Amino acid sequence: MPIFDSPMLLAVLGTAVVCGLIGLDRTAAGQFMLSQPIVAGPLTGWMLGDPTAGIVIGAVLELIWVVDMPVGTFVPANSTISAVCATAIAALGSEGAASLAVIGFSLLLTTGMVPVTMAADTVVRKWNARLAFTAAAVTRESSGRTLAKAHLLGLAVFFLKSFALCLLFLPAGIAAVALFGQMPETFHRAMSFFVKLLPLLGAALIVRRLSMKSVDAFLIIGFILAAVAGAVFHAPALIILVLTVTGGWLGARYGGLRR
Amino acid sequence: MADYDDKKIGAADLLAVFWRSLLIQASWSFERMQSLGFAYAVEPALRKLYPDRAEYEARLRLHQEYFNTQPYLASFILGAVVRLEQDRASGRNTAADVSGLKAALMSPLGALGDSFFWGALKPLAAVTATALLMTGSSWAPLLFLFLYNVWHLGIRASALFLGYANSGDAVDLLARYRFTKMAKLFKVISLSVLGGMLGMLPAWRQEFRPAMNVGDLFLALSGLAITLVLTGIARKGGSPVKIMLGLAACCLALAYAGVI
Repeated sequence: MPIFDSPMLLAVLGTAVVCGLIGLDRTAAGQFMLSQPIVAGPLTGWMLGDPTAGIVIGAVLELIWVVDMPVGTFVPANSTISAVCATAIAALGSEGAASLAVIGFSLLLTTGMVPVTMAADTVVRKWNARLAFTAAAVTRESSGRTLAKAHLLGLAVFFLKSFALCLLFLPAGIAAVALFGQMPETFHRAMSFFVKLLPLLGAALIVRRLSMKSVDAFLIIGFILAAVAGAVFHAPALIILVLTVTGGWLGARYGGLRR
Repeated sequence: MADYDDKKIGAADLLAVFWRSLLIQASWSFERMQSLGFAYAVEPALRKLYPDRAEYEARLRLHQEYFNTQPYLASFILGAVVRLEQDRASGRNTAADVSGLKAALMSPLGALGDSFFWGALKPLAAVTATALLMTGSSWAPLLFLFLYNVWHLGIRASALFLGYANSGDAVDLLARYRFTKMAKLFKVISLSVLGGMLGMLPAWRQEFRPAMNVGDLFLALSGLAITLVLTGIARKGGSPVKIMLGLAACCLALAYAGVI
């Protein structure tokens, strides 16, 4: 069982603060994509001394949630909290060297948290309506400073939401990882394999969103180019990537974008 | 020739509006969406244009009306509104329908921006960077931020100045950026890179690569086949959460059966 001593509590608190700050980028401030799992995961892993956990979790969650778009009033899954919490749970629950099985289990735990984070996002967006009404009422006799204060209070609300959820999830997750360590080897094998399937699920979800066809011609062109360049010519990943970008571009240009 | 009380909005004023536009969604709500954020962003320009306190507050109240669009392309509307407010304040166009302009532009630009930025640019940057990250390039997150923000910040900043210069002529914006065509192109390239990522499966980091004692080509083909099966499941309406939980259950069953 991990001991919730001072360094652990400090790490949990620090992670929650970082989650709150990065979470602002999600909707409230800038939207520079610092909040995306591919950035938030590695950053958290690096901060907590387990970059591998951050890279694995960041890559997997990025693929799974990238096409979940905040269109209109739809509130997408909060992949920032998922990435930060999954990485922190894996890193802190394993003292900085999470096994693949623990990473898989952490990912599974944060999958269960998704409905909770979506509900919290919904509550915050309902509550924020009060800020607009407050500002509208006050500016009748006051200046834009009151409006600015009311508007910027929303940043604090968004920060507190991510901060509080992180504080809630992390201790529970770390305790769950400790219990997972005592489970039979079968569970560990299952979770290790689970991690290896998730990038394929992410790829499937992207294909579903970007293409009308189940077997998309451009997907197959990219696959063949990469498989041939990799297997026959042993080309490095960067070269293969350039090839697939060029292949897609040429296909779009001469295929006339008939989609 | 009419005598106008010209009030100049300079680059510094537009930059102040741009800086504030980065926080346009700070108080986003279901009911009022970006209404408060829009008023907050345009406020520095109103303060300069309307020295009379009562008029300034009246204009500020006007801009707290309902508003929602794609947050990056909101800068185009902000630029146009600053221009119309300038024309109104100087007496050049006292009948400028600022509310009408906002209402006319926010929905089309919202749909266009969502489709381009969320639906095409973000997947392209993410798939490219993830493919590199999975094959061992630890700097891939920085590439992701670069690929995305070159477009994001470039368009966001230039759209503000363009909106100001052409008073909200959306045709000019569309002619310059051709969002729909670019979105289609980005989606096609994303799919090609995604296929490439699957073709590179034998070169993935060991954390992602299944430990199967088969040839590289067979391994890559297996990955493609599983992806296509999962695409079929996802098309039948499975949410990511449900499919992830289902996959975890399948993995447990396979582990208990001794297959993995």
